[in-house]
Amino acid sequence: GKEKASQLQADGSAFDPTAYAEHLLTFMGLNRLEDEDSDGEGPSGGYLPQDAWQRLGNKVQGCFRTAPSFHFMLGSFLAEPPAPRQRVE
Amino acid sequence: SSQVQRGLERLTPAQVDRKGHKVKPVVSGSLLIFRWQKLVQFILIKDQKKVPIKRADIVRHVVKEYRNIYPEIMKRVTRTFEQVFGLNLVEIDIAHSRITCEHHLKQNINKLETESKRKPGELASMSLGDHRTGLLFVILSIIFMKGGVVKESVVWNTLRKLRVEPGEKHEDFGDVKKLVTEEFVRQKNLEYVRIPHTDPVEYEFRWGLRAETEVSKLKMLQL
Amino acid sequence: MARPMTESHRRFLQIMMTSGIIELSKAKSLIRHCCDDQSAHAQLDEFIDVINAQLQPMFMQIRKGMSEDDGRQYYALVNMAETDVTRMSSDYADNELELFRKTMDLIVDSENGSASSTDILNCADSLQTKKMKKKEVEHVLNRLVQDKWLNEKQGDYTMSTRCIIEMEQYIRNVYQDLVKPCYMCHSLAFQCQMCENPECGIKVHLPCVARYFKSHIDPQCPACKEYWPHEIPVLRSESASQ
Ligand SMILES: [Zn+2]
Ligand SMILES: [Zn+2]
Repeated sequence: GKEKASQLQADGSAFDPTAYAEHLLTFMGLNRLEDEDSDGEGPSGGYLPQDAWQRLGNKVQGCFRTAPSFHFMLGSFLAEPPAPRQRVE
Repeated sequence: SSQVQRGLERLTPAQVDRKGHKVKPVVSGSLLIFRWQKLVQFILIKDQKKVPIKRADIVRHVVKEYRNIYPEIMKRVTRTFEQVFGLNLVEIDIAHSRITCEHHLKQNINKLETESKRKPGELASMSLGDHRTGLLFVILSIIFMKGGVVKESVVWNTLRKLRVEPGEKHEDFGDVKKLVTEEFVRQKNLEYVRIPHTDPVEYEFRWGLRAETEVSKLKMLQL
Repeated sequence: MARPMTESHRRFLQIMMTSGIIELSKAKSLIRHCCDDQSAHAQLDEFIDVINAQLQPMFMQIRKGMSEDDGRQYYALVNMAETDVTRMSSDYADNELELFRKTMDLIVDSENGSASSTDILNCADSLQTKKMKKKEVEHVLNRLVQDKWLNEKQGDYTMSTRCIIEMEQYIRNVYQDLVKPCYMCHSLAFQCQMCENPECGIKVHLPCVARYFKSHIDPQCPACKEYWPHEIPVLRSESASQ
């Protein structure tokens, strides 16, 4: 955070994608493996959990003032009688 | 219109002043008849996708023949959103925005945003961010760190390091390119603009109007 | 005369909009959290009544219901209107909603209030709106579970508490005699046990069975007094907040 701020003050375009990506991957729960030869996806090998992006979303949610939206099921479709079928008595 | 006339005639006894003259109601009679509640519903539902709502759609689907009192209706609805939901109904006139290609479309667009006076993080645990929020955050922060505008290639290069490939179908995002260059743009979270005189065509990203009002740059830096 | 909403009510409502449904004890602590004055004992029912009074004109309500899984009380923010405007809701496509309706049909028809993924997949072929491939069906079912409309356990799908609370009236209207309320709590019963006496046939929710028959050596049907032949379930934990 503070490194980013000082980077910005120094030079608006001094942005290092690799460093930033590493920073984010930590938030996303990257499991960095000790040995480099397993997985090896690019410069940072390691196992990214399935909910990696969800984790990041949770972490950054506080930056957003987006209004919550209203979700419902009733009334979202036209009520139709169910198909007639055999009822075992 | 005759309906407006009929509405204005229905004054309640309270709206008679001391001299017995009929007082023009502060809230016009037709507004008393118009079911603004349906418009609140409409806006809540249209806001599900976070794409700004056009005035034309509001008039066509809900306001209809009461369009001449549209401002009063919107005032009532705005107040309801504030008092009941704690939400700001905001009008954006994109004709005056920097998006020159949409310059000729005169639209009043409404969107919702929340006015949260609470300290950051307090209620954060209750409102879950999702994967799209994460992706949007990354792109917005790249643009921010690059001084407010960034070439498309820089964004994809960074996302590639996060295992997101524009050409490939992503586990969480599906067609990422479509999500970023179309949906996020429709929502006014991003601007995706062609850089003039580029061949082959190149594009650049900026923060969209929605991001400008909903995202706190200060909080981004604090992460 | 309706009491006015305060900032605390609005905070709570916004969280209800995001979560959709919340368990009773969590609702209580959330209300304390939302109130500026932490020491104020905002009575749960009173607090929610204030919000409901304002939501009523928009045909929205915060309604209470019991979970068929854990027997606890939950509050859900629900829609109560069925109009041309509500049908503009865009969370699910038409064919996805049709699949959801077919899933409800299967659940209503079943003995144990659940539908297997196999049966649901079979429905996908005969959708009237637009057919769905297996992958699409899996994707929709995942979303329905994530959005808390269905619960999933070992490939079987049941109606969630949120679904039952919001859809109760719809289900009664559409399915009529095909559904039955629980004899004990009178809410619709899907995951339940039934009296084997053909002249009785009452249904009781599994948690309601657990509560009613707790420490009964010789369980009898509360309606007809015949022997209750089913295994009496045990509630995981009796919630102290009941
Ligand atoms: Zn019951
Ligand atoms: Zn019986």
